[in-house]
Amino acid sequence: MVNANPKRETNGRRAPSVVMRLARMGSAHPTRLSFLRVMLRRMLAGDWRFDRPVWNIDDKGVGRAVYRAVGPDRTYSLVAFAHDLPDDMRSDRVIATAWDATFALFDGTPTTADLDRLQANVPLQEAGRISPRELSLSRANRSVRLWAHVIENLAAGRQPDPAEIGAVGYLMRTTAVYGSGKFGAADRREIAARPELAAPFQAEMLSVWLTRQFTVDIVEHLARVRGGAGAARLAPETKGLLGVGNSTGLGMAPFLVRHPILMNNWMAAREEALARVRTLDTATPDAVRGLNAAFTKACDNAACWHSQHPIQIAKLADLRADLDRIGERLTAFPGGEAQPWDALWRWGEDNLSLEGQETLFALLIEPHGPLVDDLAAGMSADETFRLDGAMRVGALRAILRDRYDWALAIDFADPAQQARFWYVSEDKLEPRLGERATDAMAEREQPLCTGRLAKELDDALQSWPEDETVAAFLLRHPEHRFMVRRAQIAASHPYAEVRDNLIAEDMLPIDLMRCKLAFFGASHFDPRSDKWVRICLFQGAPYPLDLKEGVAHDT
Amino acid sequence: MTPEPNDPTRAGSPLPSEERVLMSQTEIETLCTKAARGAGMSWGNAEEAGFAVGWLHARSIDGASALLAHLERTEGAAWRDVCPVIETGHWHPSGAEPLCPVALGVTLCDFRALPEAALTGGGLTLGPVSRPLILVPFLAEVARLSGPLTVSWDGGAMEVTADSVLGNDIAGLVVTTLVLSAGVAASPAEGKPEPRKCDRAVLARLNDLAMKTTIPPSEKSCADAGAASSDND
Repeated sequence: MVNANPKRETNGRRAPSVVMRLARMGSAHPTRLSFLRVMLRRMLAGDWRFDRPVWNIDDKGVGRAVYRAVGPDRTYSLVAFAHDLPDDMRSDRVIATAWDATFALFDGTPTTADLDRLQANVPLQEAGRISPRELSLSRANRSVRLWAHVIENLAAGRQPDPAEIGAVGYLMRTTAVYGSGKFGAADRREIAARPELAAPFQAEMLSVWLTRQFTVDIVEHLARVRGGAGAARLAPETKGLLGVGNSTGLGMAPFLVRHPILMNNWMAAREEALARVRTLDTATPDAVRGLNAAFTKACDNAACWHSQHPIQIAKLADLRADLDRIGERLTAFPGGEAQPWDALWRWGEDNLSLEGQETLFALLIEPHGPLVDDLAAGMSADETFRLDGAMRVGALRAILRDRYDWALAIDFADPAQQARFWYVSEDKLEPRLGERATDAMAEREQPLCTGRLAKELDDALQSWPEDETVAAFLLRHPEHRFMVRRAQIAASHPYAEVRDNLIAEDMLPIDLMRCKLAFFGASHFDPRSDKWVRICLFQGAPYPLDLKEGVAHDT
Repeated sequence: MTPEPNDPTRAGSPLPSEERVLMSQTEIETLCTKAARGAGMSWGNAEEAGFAVGWLHARSIDGASALLAHLERTEGAAWRDVCPVIETGHWHPSGAEPLCPVALGVTLCDFRALPEAALTGGGLTLGPVSRPLILVPFLAEVARLSGPLTVSWDGGAMEVTADSVLGNDIAGLVVTTLVLSAGVAASPAEGKPEPRKCDRAVLARLNDLAMKTTIPPSEKSCADAGAASSDND
């Protein structure tokens, strides 16, 4: 069947050639399908309760604390260790060896012996060892400026300056949050069947949400130490402005490329959500109110989103101009169209920048929880995929033409098209980008150069008869096994591949990072280079210890 | 434990001082994938090596030692010397070198639905193959798609189904010729096996191979991997 509209798949979703481009992925905004929203919806539904059974923090702010999330079937505990870190040791990079605070998410309620075991390991992070009882390992550093400002004011009985809080947005910034079998932790496959952990990154999101509670508890504690009985506590409206920061580098960028089935499922869920909303033939008053409320929030968010990076400054200018256009368009929404949401979306495609389109995406699905929230259940993935050796060479080449046309069109003889290579550094085992023209040992390149691998595979297949089997081809060419498997995955998972050259001179790693962080639910994307970003999580969300037991809260 | 956070000679978290280390399946898969790649396998085959050891690990069987022994003996071997030559009823090496169990395993999986891998008649003779234990997860993959298998050798035999292996004496074999035939459905082992601890020395040597996938960083790449501004703000 010929698809009359190259921008739409036959199931109404946007085509991968539209969606899977770095420039668009690098303009992604969090949505109600983001993983922290999925986690909060469950935690706020009324059948989870939260407490802090351990708080052994001394007057210097050193010690340990435990926060529990107690659910209908299971309990999870964030074990927090607070440290006294000299300023000169404070670094967000993987090369750091000490942090202001370190954390593990424990499966159950830890005993004193568990806490002692964790205390001997968690503060060491990568240099320590955790066990299958732990679901995540993480650390955080203070925002030095805001930390001092908040404690000083609370100690003096005053609230901190909202402008200072707005300029930073968080008291502590996490860096790596490790899960899924890292450093001895429980394997994802061991816990994936639990309903509360079935969606992606739920343990990590829970850990960061509980960490946010810890950050406000410890500044109030230190303010009380300094100010005594006269010290103030954070006012609810001030607390609401605080999220948890996160700082991340290139280490995150390869994830989406290394997990093609998972990325497909994330993207497909988003696209299905948009397709469902676009087919609605009415805009109910409730949904219109929800849309307008979400629009107001998006404007507030854009107003306090700061960045010094030239790329992001330009994108923020696009976003703010687009929000003005969207606001104007919404005054006439819904009009008389048969499918008002589809009309709004198509207007956006014609009139907005990528930033604006992606924010409109989040706005469109926001008021439609009952229609789209079930899609979160399909966002995890069984990543086992056995290559099909009985496939014929002709069929494999057809996949390459269909899914990798963008790659086959690249001239890799042009040095700019393979100017860089991804590698793992010997010293810290973190992913880095090398310059092929000048850096040594490019033969140790990681297989993240998907476009070139597809092109090389296609070249190698050209001399093979169409009816020969892939099995026979791979017996002669084991070097193409990696790409053959990817291509076969892409055949049945249309959103599995980023459709851009990941080793080109002008590739921006932060585009990959923003896409993943938006799926987490991150806001205030603030690049500090083309390979390093800060973001904020959970701003505006409730705090676990402020929730009333047995009461459902809006998310 | 003596933490050495900047130890450049490790591919994952530093190994605890205990002689036996409890590893997650993800860790053992990742380490073995890198080690196999470091020893010269293609990325696609290295992933399969990681899959195989992880599969065994999840069933409390030590595949890491067998993979290490194979990799250390054949590091850098040419594919044509360790991949199977397919003849009717007999897949054998091209020369004196035994087959690589990963090369044989992936080829069996690739051909599982094709006439070359038919198990009719006297079955399919395979080998000689190095460290046949590493072949078992691939046989389980074939069994998942084509039904249970019996694998036999001079002095032993075992049943392989999609989920389980019965009879464990294949673990001790170094180089053997195997005969593969259609098997009977065996009842799977009861319960979930205890997580298996790995030998520290084996992990350390796998790690040495894994480090061959890494690159000493250039000053520039090291410098621009972080933020362009201070983190101490």
